[in-house]
Amino acid sequence: MSYMDKGLVELHELLKNGEVTSDELVKESIAKSHEVQDKYNAFVTILDDAKGGEVTDNILSAIPYGVKDNYSTKGILSTGSSNTLKDYVPFFNATAIDKLNAAGAVKVNKTVLDEFGMGGTGTTGHTGIVKNPWDPTRMCAGSSSGSACAVAAGVYPYATGSDTGDSIRKPAAYCGIVGYKPTYGMISRYGLFAFASSLDHCGALTRSVEDAAIVVDNMKGIDKNDMTTWDSSDIHLYDNLSKDVKGKKLCYIKEICNPSMYPNAGSELKEHLDNFYTVVDKCKELGMTVDEVSVDSKLLNALAAVYVVISCAEATSNMSNLTGIIFGPRSEGENYIDMMTDYRTKGFSPLIKRRFIIGSYVLQAQNKDRYFHNAQRVRRLLVDRWKELFKDYDAVILPVGSGPAKKFETDNDCVEEDTQILEEHLQVGNFGGFPSITIPDGFVNGLPVGVNITGNCYDDQNVLNIAYALEGTMNYKNQIAKEVK
Amino acid sequence: MSKFTKEMVNDYAEKLLIGLTEEENKMVLDEFEVIDKHIDSINELPNISSVEPMTHCLDDFVYELREDEEEDSVPIDELLQNCDDYVGSEVRVPKVVG
Repeated sequence: MSYMDKGLVELHELLKNGEVTSDELVKESIAKSHEVQDKYNAFVTILDDAKGGEVTDNILSAIPYGVKDNYSTKGILSTGSSNTLKDYVPFFNATAIDKLNAAGAVKVNKTVLDEFGMGGTGTTGHTGIVKNPWDPTRMCAGSSSGSACAVAAGVYPYATGSDTGDSIRKPAAYCGIVGYKPTYGMISRYGLFAFASSLDHCGALTRSVEDAAIVVDNMKGIDKNDMTTWDSSDIHLYDNLSKDVKGKKLCYIKEICNPSMYPNAGSELKEHLDNFYTVVDKCKELGMTVDEVSVDSKLLNALAAVYVVISCAEATSNMSNLTGIIFGPRSEGENYIDMMTDYRTKGFSPLIKRRFIIGSYVLQAQNKDRYFHNAQRVRRLLVDRWKELFKDYDAVILPVGSGPAKKFETDNDCVEEDTQILEEHLQVGNFGGFPSITIPDGFVNGLPVGVNITGNCYDDQNVLNIAYALEGTMNYKNQIAKEVK
Repeated sequence: MSKFTKEMVNDYAEKLLIGLTEEENKMVLDEFEVIDKHIDSINELPNISSVEPMTHCLDDFVYELREDEEEDSVPIDELLQNCDDYVGSEVRVPKVVG
């Protein structure tokens, strides 16, 4: 009998009824962790000595989960998937982890990410690449690669994630699961390794919208250690889930997903977009209206550069404390400059170095207005345009990426000449702090693809309800990855 | 001729205390060219210079100062668990002054 492929509510009932014990769940989850580690390399640490917990009225109690390795966990290795912190053991928990502990949740492993969350491929973690459980020749996307892989493979019902560009929502699509990033500041970032503080969000990867609501209900809350958190005590996402979405208004953006924008589209992109329009029809069958709207292509085309400039600038600043002197393995050297240079040169992957240099360049006094401030200006224009849409619409619905998971030989962490807005548009959710959820919406070439729903700040319930109703029209809730290649 | 050069990239890397291989240097140069092209297009947006830069997601933060209450600090023993080189409660650090 397998349990870790079930949803949270069902597991809670089984535990309450004494049909399974927490120890049995933890044992199964750890055994599956080792299987998944051997096949797909999803974990930095597996907590073999984890023990079951007490069953309480909290749905998360006594149920195993995974923690992305950029969340600080007291007494447990927390590396950010970087050689620079390969031996770092925090003396405190991230607030979100404290909250899950208080709920009685049982962590069983720490999952691999792109180094410090700064990548979208799952190939830059210091423990090696994470393979997609549907097709190991393909990536999980990133940066929450290990969390997405493990949830999709049935290691446990959920894992924590973080999202600075699309790091929860794209891996969810590539792995056929749900990825939810709530409104900025709903979950405290205290104890999350900072990448780009004005864009960083905590969130969850699950196999159903219901589970996403339950997990975020337990992670959220105002925190004196994160001044950007706000009081969400009157928001009860799970209790207020509803499939009654009749009369809701959605829109999609022509310049992002109309097939006419991609005259040379390959078969995977064509199928992905065809599938998206089938999902649009399902929304209409639910009683929602769905309109096509237009956004200035010049703004959309600037989106990728805006993200790179802002995120690299903030990362350069945030990670200047990584010297090998106060954290991580100290390097040898004649003096402290040599020690720090040796540590940073050997410790950071090429991708991170690239981002730091770009960040440093755009922050120089002579470059700041042309690059950094202009990027921040376009950030405002994009967010203002989305907020205009939210005056007329409950949410924006768009396909995630340009198809299913990419093969490993594709490097989509570069800003390339042919960058497509389809790959980058989820970053607007970070620019504006919007609640945003990806759910699986079909298969292309035997591999899962996803659709994203994004709403206005603080309107998480609306976004979740739309996703919940749409999920109910499809058969992908709680699906477990099966290797197809 | 590009305004970005190999020497310039190495200079920035040095300031950041990062050493680059030839291959890494080229990756940065290539990406600079693409970013610069996108930034050129940003500069073509009408009245861009009059837009207030957006520094944060939310524009309705409520800032409240906490009460100045004394709290327990982290026990020194716990802090030292992450430290390889210490004597008593003192951490050995590299010499930074002459």
